[in-house]
Amino acid sequence: MSQLANYINAKRESKPILSMTHVVYGYPTVEESLTWMGTLLENGADFIEVQFPFSDPVADGPTIVAACHKALEQTLSVEQCLKDIGQLAKNYPESRLVLMSYLNPMYRYGLDKLVERCAEEGILGLILPDLPYEQAGGLRAACDKHGIDPVWLVTPVTPKDRMAFLASNAQGFLYCVARSGVTGNSNHEGEGAQTELQHYLASIKSDSSAPLGVGFGLRRREQIKELEGHADIAILGSALLDAYNQGGQETGIALFKELFSH
Amino acid sequence: MQSDNGYYGEFGGSYIPEILYSSQQQILNAYEEAKNDPAFIAELKQQWQEYSGRPTPLTFCKNLTEHFGGAQIYLKREDLNHSGAHKMNNVIGQGLLVKRMGKKRVIAETGAGQHGIATALVCARLGLECTIYMGAKDVKRQYPNVFWMEQLGATVVPVTEGSQTLRDALDEALRDWSSTHEDSHYLIGTTCGCAPFPEMVAFFQSVIGEEVKEQSKAQFGRYPDKLYACVGGGSNACGLFLPFVDDKDVEMVGVEAGGKGTKLGEHSIRLSHNLGTPGIAQGFASIFIQDDAGQLQETHSISAGLDYVGVSPIIAHLAKEGRINMTYAMDDEVVDACTLLLKNEGIIPALESSHALAGAFKDAPSMSKDTHIVINLSGRGDKDIFNVAKALQDPTFPDFLNDYLEDYEKDTLIKKTEKEA
Ligand SMILES: Cc1ncc(COP(=O)(O)O)c(C=O)c1O
Repeated sequence: MSQLANYINAKRESKPILSMTHVVYGYPTVEESLTWMGTLLENGADFIEVQFPFSDPVADGPTIVAACHKALEQTLSVEQCLKDIGQLAKNYPESRLVLMSYLNPMYRYGLDKLVERCAEEGILGLILPDLPYEQAGGLRAACDKHGIDPVWLVTPVTPKDRMAFLASNAQGFLYCVARSGVTGNSNHEGEGAQTELQHYLASIKSDSSAPLGVGFGLRRREQIKELEGHADIAILGSALLDAYNQGGQETGIALFKELFSH
Repeated sequence: MQSDNGYYGEFGGSYIPEILYSSQQQILNAYEEAKNDPAFIAELKQQWQEYSGRPTPLTFCKNLTEHFGGAQIYLKREDLNHSGAHKMNNVIGQGLLVKRMGKKRVIAETGAGQHGIATALVCARLGLECTIYMGAKDVKRQYPNVFWMEQLGATVVPVTEGSQTLRDALDEALRDWSSTHEDSHYLIGTTCGCAPFPEMVAFFQSVIGEEVKEQSKAQFGRYPDKLYACVGGGSNACGLFLPFVDDKDVEMVGVEAGGKGTKLGEHSIRLSHNLGTPGIAQGFASIFIQDDAGQLQETHSISAGLDYVGVSPIIAHLAKEGRINMTYAMDDEVVDACTLLLKNEGIIPALESSHALAGAFKDAPSMSKDTHIVINLSGRGDKDIFNVAKALQDPTFPDFLNDYLEDYEKDTLIKKTEKEA
């Protein structure tokens, strides 16, 4: 079994749901983003999803897009990011860091090298939302070799047979997108049917032995509460960034505690 | 040109968020069915003819041919399409596909505004809701097109993120599509994006080259020796070139926007002189202008329609194979080429198309008199009136603008007092 799945299953014995908090590497500066990750880890975040910025983040909404563009006013290096967050992984062995980005910066860095370096730095999961399973043959082979989990996404409109396929191939955890659209409060009104989240999760569960993470649009305590018993990880992205933008780390941590310290 | 499962050599493919999977499959299937359905093809041809005025002529340029004293110069007159550019060929095709799929709303990105206009026109005709994303910089550069899109009932959304040009408009259109995929079709305007868009747009544009095949045979008894097209996303170039791809004697030249120079940020040269590098972004693998870390970079061109960071995977592949020669033309050469056509042939070309002219004019004098070249005149230049006036430093244009503004304000005031009275 995967190292991430083992970690999730073990931790779930004492917690109804685990937290994954999202941070944009380099926003507003590299130094500050690392301190912010440290604060979240100090406060018991089970996971940090570290987003390495890309100039054209098509799966993200305005909050995260703006943060990525701000971060890219500096020159950011994938290698330095891996070193920096690898250090955090060592300093906080009770938590896990996973790397999220878009394909292009990772492709330019070299996918084989990326996976190898992740393994060296103890970064056990990789999320690349614009890399579908079918196009990821090379990456999957490298991940198998180094014991890293590529995290696949499923959505409320994923067809049934594809859902079964992705769920049965899930490694580490399966990222269940809660609704149509991009991350956070969007410029675009999603008009898709408001899926019954619990029903959706139950149907995924029947196909998957991997733990389930749920993200997109989570911002209130009731939403997290409703996920308990149906999912293993609640992923907090834009809402945390909105809080952070509003009142810095203090406001960010207050939101984190409100959602998870119960 | 048939792709290999969405790929052209190492380029193309489908790199999109999972949320778009079903919609993309729907387009793939609808397109496969439609292109093999004689009724669809008949309807397409009828709409091309009735609505856009196809076939467009192949015009011999007697004066320019004499001026250069070399190759026999012909223009494929895509400027004579309804809406004034080749963009209409594709929009008519995809519009019929939208109807076939039963969707109610269309999303599109636009650079110069030509694709936006064509989309807004067809949506008005087909009774479809229409949202156009346009970089905030392009909204400024091409305001007359924005005005008409809105008059046609489209919603134009200026994109203020990133470089505020075509690439950001494309990102934002993809984000909209991710939210609205159930009712909306993303009507991409060029041979880029995820499969099957490059193949599908090239299919709809190939009418250009198919017509040139017939017209060249009829007008000078054989196929042209050399073809020229400007390359933004690559759709007018694919349209002219692909029908000739297996005719090995026909040479092809793609002309990119050299802008103000070859320094990063001053041009949109992706393929010639290896200024771009392999990348995977905006749904497809191709050659992009990017830095070492894989961040897409700013581009420039005097023509908004060529100001794009990536390029069609089909063109990237054919350029790599050596089937197409890529070159570029600088902003000032483009304005000169535009002027030359105006004065000699009485045709007003779009600045995009003037790149193809500039590329061909460089070669024409040294070519023998029995060679025939065809330049794709992808669009007409009326939309560029403000930019060309500025580039030529026309001394009376500012007076016109001042007078217009004064008159406009006076008129507004009169209407206001009439209302109050
Ligand atoms: C007249 C004209 N020509 C060319 C282009 C470039 O696009 P493509 O390379 O897809 O033909 C545009 C784009 O807006 C255009 O308006």
